[in-house]
Amino acid sequence: MKKECDNLLSFLSDELEEKEKKAFAEHLIHCSECTREYDQMTEAWNSLKWDFEEMAPPVTLKSEVMNFVFEQNHEKPVHKVKQWSSFFSRQFTPITSGLFLATLVLAIILFYSNVQLKKELQATDLPVKVKTAFLLQPADKTAVNMNTAGAAYILEQGHEKSLVVQIRNLPALQESEVYQVWLLNNGNRTNGGTFKPDKAGTGSLTYKLPANNQFNQIGITKEPDPNGTQPRGIKIVGSS
Amino acid sequence: MRLKEKLDQELMALVIKKHRPALEELYDRYIKLIYGFIFKFTNGNEEKTKEIVQLVFLKLWTTKSSFSPEKGNFVNWLLTVTRNVCVDYVRKDSIHIQNNQQIGMSQSIDIEDPNNDIENGLINSEITKAKNKLSKPQKRLIDLLYWKGYSLTEIAKIENEPIGTIKSRLHQSLKQLKKYLEVGDL
Repeated sequence: MKKECDNLLSFLSDELEEKEKKAFAEHLIHCSECTREYDQMTEAWNSLKWDFEEMAPPVTLKSEVMNFVFEQNHEKPVHKVKQWSSFFSRQFTPITSGLFLATLVLAIILFYSNVQLKKELQATDLPVKVKTAFLLQPADKTAVNMNTAGAAYILEQGHEKSLVVQIRNLPALQESEVYQVWLLNNGNRTNGGTFKPDKAGTGSLTYKLPANNQFNQIGITKEPDPNGTQPRGIKIVGSS
Repeated sequence: MRLKEKLDQELMALVIKKHRPALEELYDRYIKLIYGFIFKFTNGNEEKTKEIVQLVFLKLWTTKSSFSPEKGNFVNWLLTVTRNVCVDYVRKDSIHIQNNQQIGMSQSIDIEDPNNDIENGLINSEITKAKNKLSKPQKRLIDLLYWKGYSLTEIAKIENEPIGTIKSRLHQSLKQLKKYLEVGDL
């Protein structure tokens, strides 16, 4: 008989500490002697509960008991909150909360871009209006490129504004060279996009204008590459 | 379906879902049983019996471990819950321990004599019959342990006997009880 077997009766009468109780329950699985004894003892132990007689309680007891139970219960609303929060913390491990947040962010982004797309689609249904038209003429009227000419338009569709440039008979460009459109506002130049003409010298460009872009003149220069922020080459055409 | 027609475990499932009428129905069904049990446990103290009955129904109302038929008979489960509440009640009650120290002498603990308890010699249950066949110290031990909620260590102190003696007496008592229960009247 092992030392643990001594605890059989204390286990039966539920006198063990939680830790000892667990240990004995574990022991019970492995010890056939204790299992046999325990089964016999439990049967007798469980039958002990019938050694009494039923009794009618006082009539008032029911209401007293029910009041006690339901009053006690009202005192525990805090418990419910705790239960809920622990319920949630059980549902959300760090991984699931991470995934949940990521999904949430994605959903917001998709919703936002969807709204934007809808706006744009709505805008394409609106008529395009010409806000301003510019005639483009050669900068150097004496030069050989006399017949270079074109026009530029500011188009408005809903809230969207864009610049359209069309020019004919542009001088041919070297490999890396481009034509760059400049938007002039009181001497300040901002980029209006770059383009390359075809072999016949016909060039065209559509440039979406920033929302609050203001300008009153247009110039087009020949640039060594499309990366300039200020004109570096010569001016070919401009609005008058 | 009306509550009165529901099975015990169905009522208990409703109680778990905080259905008040289901708890009241359980009360109506089993109060005599529960009251009788506790009345014996408190040695006929009506005030304590009332308090414990309240705690038993509070326990049923707030329990999270629902009864399931695999746990056996519902009434068995109910009485086990009832006894646990009784034992918790007396063990929490420090008076119990003080009594224990004051008493010292075994004679001063008032234990009902089953023979006086049941009038006209009418014996109602198998277990009462079986218990009556035990020796006086055996019966006394069972009563102190099961019906007073004393621990084996406390009983050893009260009886002024080594714990080993108490344990082997309990062992013998339960074995004999089982035998008497199997043999019945024969």
